[in-house]
Amino acid sequence: MRATATSTGGSGTIAAKDRPSDASGASDQELAARASGGDEAAFRELLRRYERPVFSLVYRMVRDRALAEDLAQETFVKVFNGLASYRREFKFSSWIFKIANNAAIDHLRRRELDTLSLDGPTDAPTRGNRTGQVRQLPHRGENPLEELEARELGGAIEQAIGRLRPEYRACILLRHVEGYPYEQIAEMLELPLGTVKTYIHRARNELRAYLGDAHP
Amino acid sequence: MDAPHLSPEEIALWAEGLLPARRAIHLADCARCRETAERERRLFVALARVERLTPSREFADGVMATVNSPQGSGRTPES
Repeated sequence: MRATATSTGGSGTIAAKDRPSDASGASDQELAARASGGDEAAFRELLRRYERPVFSLVYRMVRDRALAEDLAQETFVKVFNGLASYRREFKFSSWIFKIANNAAIDHLRRRELDTLSLDGPTDAPTRGNRTGQVRQLPHRGENPLEELEARELGGAIEQAIGRLRPEYRACILLRHVEGYPYEQIAEMLELPLGTVKTYIHRARNELRAYLGDAHP
Repeated sequence: MDAPHLSPEEIALWAEGLLPARRAIHLADCARCRETAERERRLFVALARVERLTPSREFADGVMATVNSPQGSGRTPES
């Protein structure tokens, strides 16, 4: 996409076809088709619709704000570059969350490999290094970004979500924060429907245990 | 004959307000299912308070700058 006009925030003019008002009422599918044809305003509208959901998912998966922005940006660039091959029989939301989740999971796997290679092999992996979710939240006051992370992810439910293995965490976030049905989550994560239901059921049990509300 | 206990899926449906009344009525007579259902509801309430988080103000401009750069618009298909 080569911008032919300065878009929001710039000092230039905006071509009529690129005005946000032309895009805001369109469906995701229409916007994707227009963006694929080089319409910057259409892509900007998709970005506006999905920046918070995508960032939220990735941030809660990797639990590092700056890294989450990098991975979310990588997601949008991949979406942009893949628009021509996007299959419109699938929901756009399924496609973009699939790319976002893959970016987060790939990162967690790389980090896990790095951790294992630094520490050497272990006979009995801990839950943390097995699941790639070892990063601890900083205490308040270390620097402004870490303070923000502690505020955003430091609550009891956020900490409990952070303790889930990544596969469970993605399912719970897509179900309870984004509100997607099981069937669409299965499509996003490329998992059988029964597996998604099992993951969500187990994740809820683990969350209750972490929150001290399990069966006595 | 007593109605069977609610399944985990039915408990989840109840917590979301989607369980049909003919099954939800079982909760009136069954303390065990009622306790499980209340626990499920408490978790759902906690999860409902989990909000979307917002990236920095520069995020969208950063994405647009990248896709508009020669390096960012490689147009390689994503499987």
